Amino acid sequence: MFGTARHAYAHGVSMSYQTTEVIEIQGKYDSGEPMADAQVAVYAPDDPSTPWLTGTADDQGVFMFKPDLSQPGNWEVQFRLAGHGDIMTIPVDAESNPVGTRGSTGGLNSVQKLIVFGAMTWGFVGTALYFSGRKQRMQKSADSGLQSTPSQF
Amino acid sequence: MHIPDGILPAKVCIGGYAIAGLATWYALRQIRHDPDPTQSIPRASLLTAAFFIASSISIPVPPASVHLVLNGLLGALLGYYAFPAILVGLFFQAVIIGHGGLTTLGVNAVMMGIPALIAHHVFQGRSYVTRWWKDRIALGVFAFLAGAVGIGLSALIFFGLVVTTIPATFDASTERAAVYGLTLAHIPLMVIEGTFTAFIVLFLNRVKPELFPAKEHLS
Repeated sequence: MFGTARHAYAHGVSMSYQTTEVIEIQGKYDSGEPMADAQVAVYAPDDPSTPWLTGTADDQGVFMFKPDLSQPGNWEVQFRLAGHGDIMTIPVDAESNPVGTRGSTGGLNSVQKLIVFGAMTWGFVGTALYFSGRKQRMQKSADSGLQSTPSQF
Repeated sequence: MHIPDGILPAKVCIGGYAIAGLATWYALRQIRHDPDPTQSIPRASLLTAAFFIASSISIPVPPASVHLVLNGLLGALLGYYAFPAILVGLFFQAVIIGHGGLTTLGVNAVMMGIPALIAHHVFQGRSYVTRWWKDRIALGVFAFLAGAVGIGLSALIFFGLVVTTIPATFDASTERAAVYGLTLAHIPLMVIEGTFTAFIVLFLNRVKPELFPAKEHLS
């Protein structure tokens, strides 16, 4: 966020703003739904066990915080809601601000998922067909006079 | 429903692996009693695939969203094969699509696999009523119960595990309220999975009735 500092005046009110660098994180479920009102814990690099900051995400699952640049290193942000959650590691440099670097805890896109589902399903179905075929061959052998058992789909 | 890595303490994860190991041993021991243990492998393979894919089918239940589990269906159709099938399915879900986790694989297997075995026994309970009920009605009712019991027990185990292991970092009352909401969202899913299980069982009974022997006491 960059801009020029301005002032707005009204009766007895003075307002001002300044730009700063913050880290914005959005938590989403696998389904793509935002983790609305998720509890968030931020851990500084020098103390990964005690939260440096705790808070709550907004209704879009977004949480923003300004890291202490005097503590460079890997900051960890944990989202949790109803037994679901994830931890994200964000590298923060003492000089360069973290804003502008985008990250994700991963996950497959829909095309990759489709390919994976296809491959997995084919693998499972292939296994089933293999055993079914084997059973049918055994059945044929049984019809030829050998002992066998009937196949189950 | 799947508990991801980093949610449960290490002790619970290790306990989950221990119970899952025992349950797997017991299930395999029961499977060995079959005259031909490979006979049900094709069916187990197909239903493992169904279980693997089911977790990606989200059902919006405001304000939350839940997904199919199908552990009751697996219990009804596979019997003791259901536990290893669920274990394999969960492993692939964790590794490939990131549902659940490897540290919580044991816990998730217990959470979904043991209710599947209970669902199997619920389904076998139809043998006690076939004297008075028509076969198709008994099959449909007990398949519905198996499907509903499977997911219902899993939701209760999930609830118990998550509520009792909330770390001090987070506000327990907020998290508890969220878990209550998510658990209640599984009540409609019990109806959906029960209906789906009954539909599948009745369909299979029509095309392959020898899968469900009637008028005899089932073990």
